[in-house]
Amino acid sequence: MRNRTIEFSILMFLAFLMLSTKTLRWGNDPIELEYPKNWPKPAYDFSNNPLTKQGIELGRRLFYDPILSRDSTVSCSNCHLSFTAFTHVDHALSHGIEDRIGTRNSPALMNLAWAKNFMWDGAINHLDFQALAPIAHPAEMDHSIEKVVQKIGLKTAYKARFFEAFGDSTITGERLLKAITQFELTLISANSKYDRMILGQEKFAEQEQNGYLLFQKNCASCHVEPLFTNHDFEKNGLPLDTSLNDFGRMKITKLSTDSLKFKVPTLRNIEFSYPYMHDGRFKKLREVVNHYAQTTALDRKIELLPNEKVDLVAFLLTLTDREFLFNPDFSFPRN
Amino acid sequence: MQGRMKNIMVLLLVAGICLCGQAFKLWSLKDQVFVQAQDTMIALEEAEVLHFEPVFQGKKIGLDEPLRNSQMDSLAMHTLRFYLSNFVFLKKGRVVFQEKSSYHLLDLEDKNTLELKFTGLGNQDFDHIQFKLGIDSLTHISGAMGGDLDPTKGMFWTWQSGYIHVKLEGFSEKCPTRNHAFQFHLGGYLAPFQSVQTVSLSVPKRKNLLLQLDLTPFFEQANWSEKHTIMSPSKDAVAMSKMLANSFSVHAE
Repeated sequence: MRNRTIEFSILMFLAFLMLSTKTLRWGNDPIELEYPKNWPKPAYDFSNNPLTKQGIELGRRLFYDPILSRDSTVSCSNCHLSFTAFTHVDHALSHGIEDRIGTRNSPALMNLAWAKNFMWDGAINHLDFQALAPIAHPAEMDHSIEKVVQKIGLKTAYKARFFEAFGDSTITGERLLKAITQFELTLISANSKYDRMILGQEKFAEQEQNGYLLFQKNCASCHVEPLFTNHDFEKNGLPLDTSLNDFGRMKITKLSTDSLKFKVPTLRNIEFSYPYMHDGRFKKLREVVNHYAQTTALDRKIELLPNEKVDLVAFLLTLTDREFLFNPDFSFPRN
Repeated sequence: MQGRMKNIMVLLLVAGICLCGQAFKLWSLKDQVFVQAQDTMIALEEAEVLHFEPVFQGKKIGLDEPLRNSQMDSLAMHTLRFYLSNFVFLKKGRVVFQEKSSYHLLDLEDKNTLELKFTGLGNQDFDHIQFKLGIDSLTHISGAMGGDLDPTKGMFWTWQSGYIHVKLEGFSEKCPTRNHAFQFHLGGYLAPFQSVQTVSLSVPKRKNLLLQLDLTPFFEQANWSEKHTIMSPSKDAVAMSKMLANSFSVHAE
């Protein structure tokens, strides 16, 4: 009987030791981003924010948690849905808490490790700082990072996750932003038909191939392969919408030469990221192509025959990456 | 009975191994604790202290204190928060000490932030202090930071990336704004509106130095009716940053 008690207490002690060992563990599952060999090096400096399994998972939970908004109703995913290339379909302008409407179309999120500036006008200079803008914007989450940090600090589950991700359960603005960044950095889309064609694994149909040649001739100087953006700001030839009076990049640089310049968005998964342009004024890809073929406001005239427009759209549809759109690692965390 | 004893022996052995593991973990932590303790000791013994205070017309002023400039305008300061960064100590033009991760957010509302302590100077003498009013451009583009640079400190613009180098808010009866409030949020890291300023000051003698910001030129500015609000990078933000940077001085306490 006594032996049994000794045995039991040793077992309990062992259990305690194992538990305490578990709580000492943090962020030691490093993750390396995987991307195609022919892609350039990412712009993001991972040495300041090394990816870990725990950091990414924390970021994912924050991304899907409406706690970030003032009345806890709207999360990042409201305007950035995984199944539609992390943008908000059917909404020309982004909308936030209490049905407030913003002034720009929410961008699709992917391949952000290569992006050098964020927002249609490049107002944000680093992926870490991007989340600050929607959190604070009155027409989006209408909150402040200070209050979000306070609110999250009251949740024990989050404290444990911050400990696992950063070795410290203290929640700071820096850690919160870096965790969201970690999740966003994993949103890589690199497995479309186009990518498989480049790797020689698949062949384009004749129409797609013709569309690809037209794309290279007319569009590729701004929508540079393989990321389909030059990460710069360009005139899109659209007339000013006087109900918004959005002059784009000029707001940031205050240079008149930057008037009506907007960031060149990626074209990947464009089939799913409608409506298009900075103010979401076009619902169909066909309208976008028609605009570029008609406009006289650009430095170079783009000339496309009706059948060429169809071919070009056929090529654009090869940029759809279903593995990315339906990746369970990117969707709402269910457990 | 024999089997049970064996069980206990095995369990004890496992427990022993686990204990050794934990002990090793604690032992490795001990070094960190020790190093931290050493740092604190240095801090206690040899910290060079720079005490900050704002002055107006030669007198120390506080927040919400009623003031009058030479034109007899009624004035007050409600907020004074600013970054001092990149501290360098020099002797005859040669650097004797450069503070690492040198970012200090001073807030007149929080006394603790007004005592700047520099450790690691040792007994080295110096005759000049150099620092920046604001945050340099490289730090601006390096992503989220912690400590005094944490975005929860309310010194980072959300709609356009950039630190607010200086927040100076208050009241002047000549301001045509609501409650006659003036609000200056000075920032900007991109050309041509880089508003971070380098300040270089000669130091009278070592130990217990007083860093003063003379707000007399600021409160004496003649155009309160026109210049009362700056909230984004601009020419005016650069000009006011320059004026403030030129108003620092160091004295023996």
